Amino acid sequence: MRTITRRELLTRRAVLKGSAAAGLVVGVPGMLSAQAKAPINIGTLCPLTGAGGSYGPDMQRAVVAVVERINKAGGIHGRPVQLFHEDDQTSAEAGVRAARKLIDVNKVVAIVSTWASAVTLAVRPLCVEAQVFLIGVSGADAVTQGEHKGYVARTQPNTKLQGSMYAKFVVSKKEWKRVAYLALQTPYARSFGDAFSGILRAAGVTITDDLIYEDKKPSYRSEVTRILATNPDLIMLEGYTPDSVVMAKDIYKAGYKGAVLAPSFAVNAKFIEGASAEVSEGIWNMDRAPLFDSPAYKDFSAAVPRNDTSPYAPQAWDQMSIVALALAAGKGEASGTVIKDNLRAAANPPGTVVYTFAEGAKLLGEGKKINYEGASGACDFDAIGDILSAPFAVQQVRKGKSELVTIINP
Amino acid sequence: MIAYLTAILTLVGVRALLTLGLNVQWGLTGLVNLGAIAFFAVGAYTSALLAVGGVSLLLAWPAGVALAAGAGAALAIVALRLREDYLAIVTLGFAEVLRLFLLNEAWLTRGANGVTAIPRPLHAWFPSQYHLFYLILVLAALGLVYAALERVRRSPFGRVLRAIREDEVVAAVAGKPVFRFKVQAFALGAGVAGLAGVLFAHYLAYVEPNMFLPQESLYVWLALILGGSGNNRGALLGSLVLLGLLEGSRFAKDVIPFLTGVRLAAAQQILVGVVLVVMMIRRPEGLLPETPGSK
Amino acid sequence: MPPIAQYVFNGIVTGGILALPTVAFSLLWRLLRFPNFAVSTYLTVGAYAALALNAGARAPLEAAWLGALLATGGVALAVDRIAFRPMRDRRPFSLAIASIGVAFVLENVVRFVWGNDFRAYDVPVTRAASVAGLRIGHEQLLILGVTVALMALAQAFLLHTRLGVAMRATADNPLLSAVKGVPTNHVIAVATFGGGALAGGAGVFLGLDASIDPLMGGGIIISVFAAAILGGIGSAPGAFAGALIVGIVEETGTLIVPPTYKTAIGFVIILAVLLVRPSGLAGSRS
Repeated sequence: MRTITRRELLTRRAVLKGSAAAGLVVGVPGMLSAQAKAPINIGTLCPLTGAGGSYGPDMQRAVVAVVERINKAGGIHGRPVQLFHEDDQTSAEAGVRAARKLIDVNKVVAIVSTWASAVTLAVRPLCVEAQVFLIGVSGADAVTQGEHKGYVARTQPNTKLQGSMYAKFVVSKKEWKRVAYLALQTPYARSFGDAFSGILRAAGVTITDDLIYEDKKPSYRSEVTRILATNPDLIMLEGYTPDSVVMAKDIYKAGYKGAVLAPSFAVNAKFIEGASAEVSEGIWNMDRAPLFDSPAYKDFSAAVPRNDTSPYAPQAWDQMSIVALALAAGKGEASGTVIKDNLRAAANPPGTVVYTFAEGAKLLGEGKKINYEGASGACDFDAIGDILSAPFAVQQVRKGKSELVTIINP
Repeated sequence: MIAYLTAILTLVGVRALLTLGLNVQWGLTGLVNLGAIAFFAVGAYTSALLAVGGVSLLLAWPAGVALAAGAGAALAIVALRLREDYLAIVTLGFAEVLRLFLLNEAWLTRGANGVTAIPRPLHAWFPSQYHLFYLILVLAALGLVYAALERVRRSPFGRVLRAIREDEVVAAVAGKPVFRFKVQAFALGAGVAGLAGVLFAHYLAYVEPNMFLPQESLYVWLALILGGSGNNRGALLGSLVLLGLLEGSRFAKDVIPFLTGVRLAAAQQILVGVVLVVMMIRRPEGLLPETPGSK
Repeated sequence: MPPIAQYVFNGIVTGGILALPTVAFSLLWRLLRFPNFAVSTYLTVGAYAALALNAGARAPLEAAWLGALLATGGVALAVDRIAFRPMRDRRPFSLAIASIGVAFVLENVVRFVWGNDFRAYDVPVTRAASVAGLRIGHEQLLILGVTVALMALAQAFLLHTRLGVAMRATADNPLLSAVKGVPTNHVIAVATFGGGALAGGAGVFLGLDASIDPLMGGGIIISVFAAAILGGIGSAPGAFAGALIVGIVEETGTLIVPPTYKTAIGFVIILAVLLVRPSGLAGSRS
């Protein structure tokens, strides 16, 4: 071991002294400058893999883009936002473990952009208990029902609402008189089906069959045989992409010549690639329409270039913006409770309409009221955290691509 | 970080309890059960459903254990007359059918939705350090069950079970009602697995059918084989090692960057499979062979 | 309610696909004295081998199928060498557990390389023709035809070639066969390769009829097991019959029981056979 030179010793001492001084500044509690810099931790819990794996990455990018803008605008009450990302693998158990880490280790005050209903439902009790705010795109009715003390909200219409919008479209197409409902086993299959069928029956449409099928099967031949035997003109196929691909192929192979309606989050570019353009030709698909004309949507599109028009990334964009604005509407403390208490102040009327965090924060700073309108819609929340209804975009696959056909308004 | 470790240890404790249950069936009595996760699920769901239905935990918890034991007895009565390689597939099939039942009979089990907001015991008493309390609860249960099972192992009942494991025919010739003992042992193991399930459900406050896939049974087997079957200490050690393998490989993604998501999960499972095969070839008796005194 | 004939036909096709791995599973069980759970994963391996050749290297499906036979046979041989040969003298249960470990590894190697997504071969999707009120698919007929041909070949091999006879002798009485000079290791290698190849070929059929994903083999293990036990371990015709029956019962069963419980049907068959007539239709217990 060689001896340390005098020069090294001096530099070392200088470094030590310097860091000690810095440590003193950071370590001493109550010093205003230190407190102002302490970041606000927010967690994202998206499906980067699994059945929802097509959507997670864009949702995550949208949140990152919003946070960049927030920090550039000076942060929330001067504090920067720090993001922690986790992959829920579109699985409830993985989601719970990831949420545990976000809440316990990273100490986030909010978890945004959850996707699958099963994950949101599983993670909800943890968030409520820890007073962490939870906001996502999951549609199952149960997400906002029951005891959540206001710590839960979502930017996607609940399944009852969705079911009614799909039904509205079907009724408008007078040639479909016999409809079969074919859904994947999920937390929302039943409530969607009931809402959908109920309205159709009232409009004089016959529901020829109602079948809920199991996930992850390589072939659905027997299910398809049963459904086709009831002679439907339209099959309402409510699943996720992987199973919908298999089901669509089996329906095609069995010689079905009628129409198929499915959610756009299932019949996306990946679906068309997997099922083939021939099988996909003519499949109707719909989903909540992003607010294409809104300045927020334009802002979002510029910041998050992507290949599809799914509504999730715009919602993730809005969720982060709303959470930030709710915190900005508070007094400076950052917690899930502050978000919960100020959510509607930030997002609902009355107030000046704002489309970005920067605008909203400025007005809040001046003591004015705001009403955030976002890329995904007006984002106005009711008492239990649901959004008021939204328009839906109807598309049809033509020559290998989904094309917009019409908008269904609530 | 402490909270994260507490959570991991709690899950290890629950798994260890499940492994102890399997040990009663396989390690002690030589009964093949490739569907151990089924009794875990029965305990979890029974207690969860009763509890959210308003039943007091003092009743729901024992009910979970009892129903799991009952299911074990029922399966045993039907299937235990079979040769062990047949029994393997029957128990595997049972676990899979149970999972399908949980998934499809939504009127009872809430299907794919799962059971949410399962009440936790004494939650109001520990507003801040609840995770620590629960960990202690699980470790206490583990300790009690371990002590009890050790006593069973050394008792006359336990000796008969071991005799049955070694050679059924001899045991029968010696006048023991072999079948009855087998059913009892199987039910006991199933009950312990059920208790593990109960603790699991009330910890996560959420259960859904996909938590109980057949491969989970395989993990329990691996824990047992790793630790040394026939051996309660082995069961505990095996659970610890197994979870170390599984959780440890989670951090591998920090070191090996392309190992994310599906790749990571697949790599973990390859590791599990390879360790299983290697253990079966090289060291089937496990890390902690049965102590001489217990023979 | 569609005519039951459609379900029966669907069942025959399912049974046809099951037949190849069931024969492999059944004969290997008889020969090596343990149920080899890895056989169902050989299907997965075969399907993906063909995928690599067909979608990756752009080979026509027929060539990819042949390639899959060879590749899977090779994998089966390797597995036998590495995992099962060191355990030849152990109790069947230990080997069964080891085979489960092998199945796990194979499935996850496939998953590691290709991920979890459902894949398909690069062949045009065709609509079924309507024949006498039944929907019959072009691929389905192809699968049935090739399967029957392979079954006939396998049976001819076992009955009429020296190696085939040696295989049956070894299965019936390994010690005596060894004493009499039957090359046991050689016989086992051929049987393993052949069994693996058959299962791999069936995997391509399954991928063609349904979809390709890492769980495809694992999804049918219970049906294969049921068919093998029903037919009687060790009998190729029995295995074929067992597979057809299981296929038909599973498909027609969906008339009574929701389709989601299909696996349960296989399970019930297993239990019923084991409790009532463990030797199955045609087999004899070793």
